[in-house]
Amino acid sequence: MNAKGLLRLIAIAVILMPLGGCWNSRELNELAVVSGIGMDLVPETDEYRVTFQLVNPTSTATSASPGSGKPGVVVVSATDKTMFGALRRASKHVTRQLFFAHTQLIVLGESLARSGINDVFDIFERSHELRLNSAILVARGSDAASVMKLLTAVESLPALGLVKKTQNTSRVWGENRTISVFDVIKGITGEGDLTINAVKINGDAEEGKKNSNLEQSETPTKTMMNGLGVFRQGKLLYWMKDSEARGTEWLLDKIEETVINIDSEYKKESIAVNVIYSRTEVRTSMEGGLPVFHVTIAEEGSVNETDSFVDLGNREEILKLERELEKQTRDEVMQAFQKAQELESDIFNFGNELKRKNPQVWATLDKDWGRLFAQGRLDLHIKGYIRSTGMSLKPYIPEGK
Amino acid sequence: MDNRTQQSADAAQTAGSTSQQANNSPISTQLEETIRAIQARLGNSPDLVVRTYDLINRSARVAAVYMTGITDRGMVEDFISHVMSFQALNDGAMLAVTPEEVHSYIKENALSIGKEKLVKDINGLLEALLSGDTVILINGLGEGVSGSTCGGEVRPVTEAGTQVAIRGSKESFTETISTNIALVRKIIKNPDLWTETMKLGDITHTDITIMYIHGVADEETIKVFKKKLQEIKVDSILESGYIEQIVEDNKYSPFPTLYNTERPDSVAGNLLDGRIAIFVDGTPFVLIAPTTFFMFFHTVEDYYQRYDISSLIRMLRFVCLIISMYGPAIFVAALNFHQEMIPTPLLINLASQREGVPFPAFVEAVMMEITFEIIREAGVRMPSPIGQTVSIIGGLVLGTAAVQAGIVSPAMVIVVSLTGISSFATPAFNMALSIRMLRFVIMGIAAFMGLYGIAIFTIMLIAHLCSLRSLGVPYMIPMGPFVPENLKDTFIRSPISFMKLRKRLQTNTGSTSASPKGASKRKSDER
Repeated sequence: MNAKGLLRLIAIAVILMPLGGCWNSRELNELAVVSGIGMDLVPETDEYRVTFQLVNPTSTATSASPGSGKPGVVVVSATDKTMFGALRRASKHVTRQLFFAHTQLIVLGESLARSGINDVFDIFERSHELRLNSAILVARGSDAASVMKLLTAVESLPALGLVKKTQNTSRVWGENRTISVFDVIKGITGEGDLTINAVKINGDAEEGKKNSNLEQSETPTKTMMNGLGVFRQGKLLYWMKDSEARGTEWLLDKIEETVINIDSEYKKESIAVNVIYSRTEVRTSMEGGLPVFHVTIAEEGSVNETDSFVDLGNREEILKLERELEKQTRDEVMQAFQKAQELESDIFNFGNELKRKNPQVWATLDKDWGRLFAQGRLDLHIKGYIRSTGMSLKPYIPEGK
Repeated sequence: MDNRTQQSADAAQTAGSTSQQANNSPISTQLEETIRAIQARLGNSPDLVVRTYDLINRSARVAAVYMTGITDRGMVEDFISHVMSFQALNDGAMLAVTPEEVHSYIKENALSIGKEKLVKDINGLLEALLSGDTVILINGLGEGVSGSTCGGEVRPVTEAGTQVAIRGSKESFTETISTNIALVRKIIKNPDLWTETMKLGDITHTDITIMYIHGVADEETIKVFKKKLQEIKVDSILESGYIEQIVEDNKYSPFPTLYNTERPDSVAGNLLDGRIAIFVDGTPFVLIAPTTFFMFFHTVEDYYQRYDISSLIRMLRFVCLIISMYGPAIFVAALNFHQEMIPTPLLINLASQREGVPFPAFVEAVMMEITFEIIREAGVRMPSPIGQTVSIIGGLVLGTAAVQAGIVSPAMVIVVSLTGISSFATPAFNMALSIRMLRFVIMGIAAFMGLYGIAIFTIMLIAHLCSLRSLGVPYMIPMGPFVPENLKDTFIRSPISFMKLRKRLQTNTGSTSASPKGASKRKSDER
């Protein structure tokens, strides 16, 4: 390359570069980072009211500027017929352009959930900014806006706090699982129905908006994970709680860890078994025109607490505990299954399994699946195993107590 | 000193033909006339010393001519005393001698200090004088005898200032070419270590020596390179950088294609790899050619430390290369175009830092980078006692104060300083400079086009690197062309027992040079 050619190349490059014109370039301090989105239905007008939780960078924990002390988020709402319309309409309230790539959480208001959620998720798939892995919750007994507005202790971003709450309880308690927008879309498009984690406000929602709510060791208003909302054809039908919810997770193979209290000889529910491993396998078959669901659950646990005497050094006792563990699990699973049958809502994705296994048969069942599911039989096999008894065998409690 | 005299004698012969000066008259038979002619040509310079002696009853008149300062006083005295011993030997025995007798005596016996040679014309005489020779002129004879008495003040061999090694030889080259050559000879004691000398620079007549190991270095490359050197037509060669810039294959590339070092062990190692070393009188920086891109990221110490540590440190250097080239660019691109790429907590952290910063991220980055370059340059040029203080204070005060004043964000200071430090982790300073220069280009592209632009630029850069050649050797060897054998000593440094073959500087295909004879040979015990 000679000098002239090189100069030409440089000139062309320099001229061409600005033609891109910094397209799509946005400075961080010109963006309003949206941490959470709440969606409600305005019943009278059939419009969406979309609530945005925006991060207020000046008052986050790392910032030393005078803004500290103010809440970490700012909440604005906008109403429109479409989601996108609403989020552009929000510009009337916000100084900066909304930025959705870091949306952690989507909350659906109960009214919207009851009237049907199947239509609202298109924008999540279509937009390059909105994420499909944002967590999703249904507000139980309130609108999504109040959940968005609620400040949380410890976490400066309430949306992030709620996501962490979901993850935390999913990991160690098992009534919930982390459900993302993608899972919901999969549930809507797939066979069967879906469940979404429910969140409930305890206390006065108005008080929860204020910073003063946080200035106490126990916050008077707080959010709490509250089982699962069961949807059929995209409409909220029923709130599952406690063992029903856990049974559902069990059937969905989403149990990571959970605790089951087992009766001892002397005291009811006095032995805490921590389930540390659980795998669920599902097979389906048709018998006499009705589906049969063969479910095998293998679980492992460790005894973490005994509040009454049990001789854990004795192999027989351990086996007894294992049988008891299986029985308890069976109870919970059956509760969940029966409830789902009652609702004619296949929230366990058995339909998907059947379709995958036997597409021809599925084609005949497809239309009537809800009813068929309700008549299906659960062939449940559970294999419980106690892996360890912690750091001691016999409890210090004397025999007979 | 043996070495030195040999050098200058060779040099004088080579340069004799290239001398371009006019009024080249033969040496007059009249001594006085010759001396006058020399003085006239040198502009009556006071450092010219002429000592005349009348020998054997004034039958022979002899003059010793030399320049003070560039000659060794003791050697001059020694040299002249031989002339005196001639007188003592024949005292009383002879009444008169002819100039021819004096001459032949000097030739046969006297010049035991070094190889003598005859000068027949004024130009040759001047050249010998200016190379530090002492010339003996005999009245009545149009011929002088010169003997090397080169000396004068030289800097002793000291520790390397630019290429420091924790372990390994502490010697570094000096400004004297003969010392430098000797330093390498001390390492490679092999008759195959060949040197060739020439004088370059029409005014400066600088001594240039090329050194290679016969049988290891590629003959074709040596021939091509020598031809290139001989074609050089410049007034002056003041430093090896002159040669580097003239013989470079691709002058418009930002990347250096010649390596320079002031470590004799580095030169020795490269010679053993089949490379050529170019010594230039007056500089401790010896050029090495041909080079490869990856050579600039290797140090001699890699071979002295154990292989595992060396390999890790080498990989670290390549990480530093990427940081120093792309650090601010990726930061700017992520901040301006790809906010979704940054993990949420980090994004919020960065956003809160950037709150109140009045400039776009790119301006901020350029500002800090330029500040860093100013501090660096000032630190280099400043007298050493204050240089370091100023750079530290400059860095601290500017960095901290700028952040507190809200002009720049703390994260940017971190990125810029990390980049700055990384660029110093490249062992070769000239390569580090090239990378530093490119960093600004990439930053600009990142500000306009984000990661997309960075990717395009990188593709272009790699294409360019692959197109480069250093003395006909592909610059990106062993990656492009791919030479698996060399990979043992590129990104990692495998144990010495694994490296049985010499590094290949040529590929079998697509090369105009001779086949890589080095590749099939067993490596010598040195490396």
